[in-house]
Amino acid sequence: MKGTKRKAFFAGVCTAAMMVLSTMAGAAEITIGAANMREYVDPGRDHSNVGSMQYINTFNTLIGKDPTKIEPEFRPEIAESWEMVSPTTMELKLRKDVVFHNGDPMTADDVVFSLERVFHPTYAPYVSISKEYFDNMDRAEKIDDYTVRVHTKKPDPIIVTLLNVSESMIVPEKYIKGLTGDPDVAEDSDYDAFALAPVGTGPFMITEFIAGQKLVWERFDAYWGDKPDIAKATVTRINEMAARITALKNGEVDIITNVPPDQIATIERDSNLKVEGMQTPIFHLVFFNTNNPKMADKRFRQALALGIDRNLLNEALWYGKARVPEYHTFPQFGELYDPSWSTIEYNPEKAKRLLQEVGYDGTPLRFDTSATYYTNGFLAAQAIKEMWAQIGVTVNLNVDDRWTGSDGDMEVRNWSNPLYFPDPVGSYGTMWSPTGARITANSWTPAKPEGYASYQELWDKFRFSMDINDRKKYYREIMEYVADEAPYSLLYQPYESYGLRKDVNWKPLPGHIPYVLDFRKGNITVNL
Amino acid sequence: MAGYIGSKVVKALITLWLIFTVAFLAARISGDAMDFIMPEGMNEEAREAMTSYLGLDKSWLEQYWLYVRNVFHGDLGTSFHFRQPVIDLYTQRFIPTLTLCGLAMLLSMAISIPLGVIAALKKNRPAGFLIQSAAFLGYAVPNFVLAILLILVFSFHLGWLPSSGSDTMMHYIMPVTALACTLIASLTRFSRSALLDVLSQDYIRTARAKGVGNFSVLTVHGLRNAMITIVTVLGLQVAALVSGSVVIENVFSWPGIGELLVFAAIKRDYPLLQTGVILVGTIVIFINFIVDVVYVLIDPRIQPGS
Repeated sequence: MKGTKRKAFFAGVCTAAMMVLSTMAGAAEITIGAANMREYVDPGRDHSNVGSMQYINTFNTLIGKDPTKIEPEFRPEIAESWEMVSPTTMELKLRKDVVFHNGDPMTADDVVFSLERVFHPTYAPYVSISKEYFDNMDRAEKIDDYTVRVHTKKPDPIIVTLLNVSESMIVPEKYIKGLTGDPDVAEDSDYDAFALAPVGTGPFMITEFIAGQKLVWERFDAYWGDKPDIAKATVTRINEMAARITALKNGEVDIITNVPPDQIATIERDSNLKVEGMQTPIFHLVFFNTNNPKMADKRFRQALALGIDRNLLNEALWYGKARVPEYHTFPQFGELYDPSWSTIEYNPEKAKRLLQEVGYDGTPLRFDTSATYYTNGFLAAQAIKEMWAQIGVTVNLNVDDRWTGSDGDMEVRNWSNPLYFPDPVGSYGTMWSPTGARITANSWTPAKPEGYASYQELWDKFRFSMDINDRKKYYREIMEYVADEAPYSLLYQPYESYGLRKDVNWKPLPGHIPYVLDFRKGNITVNL
Repeated sequence: MAGYIGSKVVKALITLWLIFTVAFLAARISGDAMDFIMPEGMNEEAREAMTSYLGLDKSWLEQYWLYVRNVFHGDLGTSFHFRQPVIDLYTQRFIPTLTLCGLAMLLSMAISIPLGVIAALKKNRPAGFLIQSAAFLGYAVPNFVLAILLILVFSFHLGWLPSSGSDTMMHYIMPVTALACTLIASLTRFSRSALLDVLSQDYIRTARAKGVGNFSVLTVHGLRNAMITIVTVLGLQVAALVSGSVVIENVFSWPGIGELLVFAAIKRDYPLLQTGVILVGTIVIFINFIVDVVYVLIDPRIQPGS
């Protein structure tokens, strides 16, 4: 009798242990030490490199994209299907099983609300996104509970892309409006409150958020799609690089972000750790204030662009892991990516000739750079100073954490142009189009391109041509035009590294914008 | 005593107002807050919308007046970046900083006063010399260097202590030590010299002549009088402690007000910065006030109001 009992107990323990083991893999919890964290979580007003990590796990877009592929491969997400019902109208059929983290079912009302809040913003922080992404969007319209239409002003070749960006992710209307004040009106204070207590439809819900310090994701059991392989992920801010690496080595965290190139070896020396990285879809660059009299002659700017040895920068600062581009293009552009031609050149002799033509008198240039903002940014500035000295241009480095890009007396400064969405409009466009950052900030007044009434006309041809071959042709014209105008010069696409414990299987995915932490199903697993 | 406290409060308020005004102007002169709100290519129209939304299109005078008025209505403003009342943010982070600074202060007193006494008594002996040298060294090493050194040894190489956060007691060891080090060093030196000074006074000789024992001379007559200097130094060092915590909190990712202040200063988040400066100012003034009161208690010669 005693023996049977003992056997039964033993069997019970075994079964229990097996059950625990079988669920362990799915019960894994991980901790991430991030260099920086955003002060809020609201996909509609965030297009920062710091914030981009927060959204993919928490929210869904109407149209999805396979993040493992470098070229865009769109697929259904919240919208099961979509079709153009007129040249300016897309109709989308929504899934019926989508639930918000607070339990509310998602319907067409939420979709219309989410899109309208960024198409026609009443809340000032949405204006920037609205202008840069959704300028051609006319309105979102509910047809029935699970059908919506999106109307554009002009026929839009990138409407699918725009319904895939994190800025058009779906948020809960009723929940947001009910946060403060009148529960039927979306007040500014509702949006403020939402950004601190965000609710989405994604595979993880945010169960704790301390602005700028800590974010906790827990697997959302009512998620409509595949459930993720980990149960919980905690992101904490560890700003100091040495502290971040120490925390990883010490087992306090499983993943760390922003590992500078010269620290990769430190991590790889530890047998428990590894490094994962990729060429991030972002360009580091230098740009010129063409409206400053010192920089007004385009031949002078061309000479500066010709005087930068980008391959040397890549070898010296990135151990050759960065990518020197052909022009403002990324493999992520898909069909619009064409590396068969190039506008970027290193030619110090030609640079010297141009400087002679211009009659440069040796007046020093002011080169503005932050001390730490861009990885290797300050080192690159120092190296470029030496490269320009070789063609006879004197530079004074001005180290200042302020953003001087909109100052009239700015001459040269470093900057970055991320890929906000996989189309030239989402990188070159946000920065250098007629409504982009530089022209509106008055640091570049574009000259009239040959054969067009204005730069605007050339840009619109590219922006709104519906045929891919036309878009290719016009983008090349723009690239050649802008190389001649030389308001800026690209340096490289940096290599961004993450440190990980060896038993964590995760890496940055090429189909995402920079710095996204994707923990959806299949994208992270932990060996036990 | 009431009048004494009253005049102190008035002085404190004027000081706070001056501190606030300097912070208000310094923040604006040193940089434009708008440059830190989506600096990576904000369209100008969006920039204008944000500028007016945050009230930055108003003149400085108008902003100043609005801020002062709101403060009197109990509203310390809303952070530009966090979009939440700054008072909530500071409340959230006040306790971790208070704990950090409080522990550092207690640790310093517990270590440095006995050390100071030993150093004074063994003035010309090796022990005294050793303590003096150690104190000089401790004073010379900046706390952030020590912090990184501690992390390197105890976290990176030995793996004994966690390097960031404040979740467990283990998390306190390195930040408290790093923060306390400078204070220990300066307090040891001041205790030593204060005690030496007191021990050379006539009344000590008198006490000895009366036949008072060595221990009593040291504690009742010596230390008690030396405490006036020590308390003064301690009061002065509080400001150094709070500013030291700003650096230490950043190194150890300590979720306190120091980290928030650095953020506010870098991002030119004016409401966050102004309130932070007022808060730190209040702490320092309050501690100095306590010091003044303690004076009266330990030294009957000091009369309130004199």
